[in-house]
Amino acid sequence: MSDSVIRLETDVVVVGGGVAGCMAAIPALEAGMGVVICDKGKLLERSGSVGGGVDHYLTVMETGPEWDTPDFLLKHIPELTDGIVDMEVTDRVVREMPRVLRKLEELGVDFKDPRTGTYDRHRSFGLPGAYHINFDGTRFKHHIGQRVRRGKATVLARTMGVQVLVEDGRAYGVLAFDIRAGTWYYVRARAVVLSTGDVNRLSKNASGLAFDSWHCPYNTGDAQAMGYRAGATLANMEFTETTLTPKGFSTQGLNALVSLGAYFLNRQGERFMFRYDPKGENARRAVLADGVINEYLEGNGPIYLDCRHLPADVLDHMEETLQIDRHTLPAFYRQKGVDFRTDPIEVSISELSIRRSGLYFRGSGIAVDVNAESSVRGLFSAGDSATVSGGIAGAATLGHIAGESIVQYLKEPRTLPDVAAGELAGLTAAAAVHLEQPDGPSWRAFEDRIRATVTDHAGVRRTEKGLRLALDTLHALGREEANLGAAHHHDLMRVHEARNIRLNAELLAEAALERKESRTGSAHRRMDFPGTDDEHWRSFVLVDRTDDGPGVRTLPARDPLSAAFPRSRQQNGG
Amino acid sequence: MDSQGGALAAHNPIQIDPNSCIRCTLCDWVCPGDIIYKEEGDRETLPVVAFPDECWYCGHCESVCPTDAITIVFPERMLNNTTDVLTLLGTIEPGDVPAMEG
Repeated sequence: MSDSVIRLETDVVVVGGGVAGCMAAIPALEAGMGVVICDKGKLLERSGSVGGGVDHYLTVMETGPEWDTPDFLLKHIPELTDGIVDMEVTDRVVREMPRVLRKLEELGVDFKDPRTGTYDRHRSFGLPGAYHINFDGTRFKHHIGQRVRRGKATVLARTMGVQVLVEDGRAYGVLAFDIRAGTWYYVRARAVVLSTGDVNRLSKNASGLAFDSWHCPYNTGDAQAMGYRAGATLANMEFTETTLTPKGFSTQGLNALVSLGAYFLNRQGERFMFRYDPKGENARRAVLADGVINEYLEGNGPIYLDCRHLPADVLDHMEETLQIDRHTLPAFYRQKGVDFRTDPIEVSISELSIRRSGLYFRGSGIAVDVNAESSVRGLFSAGDSATVSGGIAGAATLGHIAGESIVQYLKEPRTLPDVAAGELAGLTAAAAVHLEQPDGPSWRAFEDRIRATVTDHAGVRRTEKGLRLALDTLHALGREEANLGAAHHHDLMRVHEARNIRLNAELLAEAALERKESRTGSAHRRMDFPGTDDEHWRSFVLVDRTDDGPGVRTLPARDPLSAAFPRSRQQNGG
Repeated sequence: MDSQGGALAAHNPIQIDPNSCIRCTLCDWVCPGDIIYKEEGDRETLPVVAFPDECWYCGHCESVCPTDAITIVFPERMLNNTTDVLTLLGTIEPGDVPAMEG
């Protein structure tokens, strides 16, 4: 490639301008630091998973009742996460939640219900209190993105990060390219934040359309892949998440429906969810999905979502708020010709994502410590790409912690490495090689093969044999990926996304093979090890890059993940 | 082979009414998937849906359009879906799982 590379020097570079990335940028901007923020979207006010809006926010508020305190919620988290959670990081996140909520309100987010002027709080997803604020978050991301823009961050819009630069275990910059103009950037920075969300386009769904996904299909585990390649430890990659959606359309909106009282019925008309959990439809999302999967396997499908019993005012509220989480959901029902007031809606499980296994606080991805820093110094992560995550509240809170930690981290003067002049062109040429072979194999067919093998062999029912088959396919795809063709820079983005999805799928299969037990329902179900084995498997599975591919190890879950970081071993003299 | 992406190539979910479109570029700016392209500063050309099979069906474009010129149209395979949900639940052969004791 003859394209020249634009070089930027800054204090902090953020890859992924969603909630977590923007919230990480804000404390740095407040401290007067330079921030460069890359996002594949055009407008920070709209980019990321909740750029179109969000309808619920999980938080403790300390309003008086015991359940509304950090201590009460924290006490229940080990049980809510089936004993596998980084409690040290979760403790900090939960305690910071009230402060971050106030900060969001200062940024202009209105969490109150305009009908009552108070917070409309609901209990759902098995949580031991009414921690969810249901609210009109249509402009939630707008306020956060605007704060970053007004704070004079340099926004590299429509720009995809492809590589974190590391020397001696410390991150010092990012390589990125503009997905339309093709401009390459070398952002040399004293700290790096990776916050590109979860991993989607990973398995099949009912519609068979790769981009019809519950969560944002443009979130393709870029952070996890970049972090892994740069030497960061990843954890919890074996746990996947699925939700229940109207069959044919993988969409958000389950939380609102179950918190307002919708039922699930099987083909016999039985409200079966109490057979799976005493909380019925208010069980954790992983349990809800698992119940529906079991009903289908036992021949009790199709499964329906039923709202017909609800009072008119609840149905009115449901109808008014249906579009907040997904603008097009009312149009889907309209074009389909069904009305949830009078018709049961057939449901399916969605495609899988690597996110946080249907639980709050057990994230999957880059292992982080209490400062949101990974095992690579100066490399931070927050949101669904990090190992403590909890929806937008988790993203906002850990993101803010990352930002404040970076302000502290940067107080220590350090010499910043640099890429050798001749080396930079080689790095960008390698990443752009797909443009030199536009007739090479398509990323679409490549991705289809990932989805087929993950669905069949590494999805909601796993065996050793199946996982090895999946790994064979994923390794074969790995050998082919350098040949993929790209006709333009938009395509080059999709090729890199496809490569990142493949890598995440491989790490998923490796970690799932290691965990010889089942845990959290269909998040990790080994048909050959059907029981949960707390004696041997109350442990994290970690993956690291080695010369021979992914190296897998375990760590007792009573330890924080950071106990496995090199700096921790150095401190302990190990 | 199951070709997820290519199968939708014929279906364009983002219908733009050329009579009410004011050529303002907002749909291009808000699309999270970089699939709508509108030449900036050109009052003549319509937005082009360049990669219809990469649409998330999020409707950002529809919701932001100042003249309601955009309608999201779902394809038949989403509206009247006939997929057997069991095909999403993994392939397990009897020999894959050791027989349980008892």
